[in-house]
Amino acid sequence: MKRLLLLVVSLCALSALLAAENRSREQGTIVRMRMADCVAAQHPFMNALSGSNRGPSGDVCPEYVLVTDKVVYVIVGKTSDQLVPLAETTRFHFQNNEVLIRLDDARRESRFHVKEMVLRQTWDRNQQIEEAQAAAAHHRADESSLADAQPELRAARR
Amino acid sequence: MARIARTRLHGLILAVSVLRVLVSAASAQTDVAPDLKFRSDVTEVRLTFSTTDIHNHVLATVQPADFAVVDQDRVIHNFKNFSRTEYTRLDIAILIDASNSLTPQFRQEMAQVVELLAQTRGVPDDSVSVVSFQDLKPAVVCEGNCRTLAESQFPVVRSGGLTPLYDSIVFTSRILAGHTDLHARKVLILFSDGMDTISQKSFTDALDSAVDHDIAVYSIDTSKKPHTSQGTSILRSLCVNTGGRYFSMEMGTEQVVDAVLKDFHATYTVAYKLPTQAMGFHQVQIFPTHDLSLQFHCRRGYYYPANPEN
Repeated sequence: MKRLLLLVVSLCALSALLAAENRSREQGTIVRMRMADCVAAQHPFMNALSGSNRGPSGDVCPEYVLVTDKVVYVIVGKTSDQLVPLAETTRFHFQNNEVLIRLDDARRESRFHVKEMVLRQTWDRNQQIEEAQAAAAHHRADESSLADAQPELRAARR
Repeated sequence: MARIARTRLHGLILAVSVLRVLVSAASAQTDVAPDLKFRSDVTEVRLTFSTTDIHNHVLATVQPADFAVVDQDRVIHNFKNFSRTEYTRLDIAILIDASNSLTPQFRQEMAQVVELLAQTRGVPDDSVSVVSFQDLKPAVVCEGNCRTLAESQFPVVRSGGLTPLYDSIVFTSRILAGHTDLHARKVLILFSDGMDTISQKSFTDALDSAVDHDIAVYSIDTSKKPHTSQGTSILRSLCVNTGGRYFSMEMGTEQVVDAVLKDFHATYTVAYKLPTQAMGFHQVQIFPTHDLSLQFHCRRGYYYPANPEN
């Protein structure tokens, strides 16, 4: 009877744990990717003393922009080959201020530094401004190239 | 008689007046023309690629869900079109380094070129050109129908020769670009150790020339110690950035021809909406969406001009 009770309690605890883990797991979409400078370690002084700080080494690591419903994260890998699949949905969770992404085909999780966090609304607005600026620059360049070409066209016609 | 002459004169005057009216009308039209503006916008990007697995074998079947395109940092999943590329023929140029740096390996290099020519049986006769380079500039050994080229017709290495590798890549790219068959996949097979000593053009010029003309570079590294050579990284970079592949000389020409033919038969084209109107060079890469062992080979990007008509 005692053993049965223990088994029931363990099962309940396990299911509660799994449910908690599922709740803490988030999902988003990687919308940008580039190779950027690796993020320096979080305790530069201690690392400098220990000789393990590799901030200014010029290494490049993959940087991803992970968009969720409310927040946009800019995350950076720790090594140059730390690539994640660019699926439409990326599942992740937080642990010790790091983002952990589980790779579909692997059992391990890949750890990323969080470089930046922005509210989704702000990020969307910034994107719109950025795109409008690029379009305007393109339009201006287009106008000036037409203006440059017109005297030449007239001269050619004469 | 005088009457006939007068009539002819009147006719001539009339003809000249009509001509004047027509010319003035035409000039009036040309005066209006400069105010018209014709605009065209580039809205779609088309990218050709092939795929290999972890064992470097070409994958014949790829689905749109298997990959995402990264264009100017932006990840693209939504494609306007995805299909097998409609290449119907191969247009191959073999570029041979005949410079002094390769003197010890030159016989082996020539033997491999002859072997390579013999192995291109699936390629039409008029699609294989051979170019060599040494001293100051490249030279066309034969253009078009080079399958029957005898070893005696190949260049002879002269001691003290210089290595205009980048100039030669630009030169050969222009030859391939001159063949204007839209359904031909253009391939440059480069026999070289990757070292350049005299070119007026830079590595970037050489790479841009291949990328601009959509030429895939397959290099056969002829250096003695490929893994430690600086030239090897140059060759690798050329191949990766043009959608071609890198081989060392020990791997043999059979693998090279095999890769060229497999890439030819298993090439896909994906089209997507231009993600941003940022001017200049748009760097492009393709990454897997689930299987990280897959590698996608495509050109490294394209130029989005200020004026798309350019």
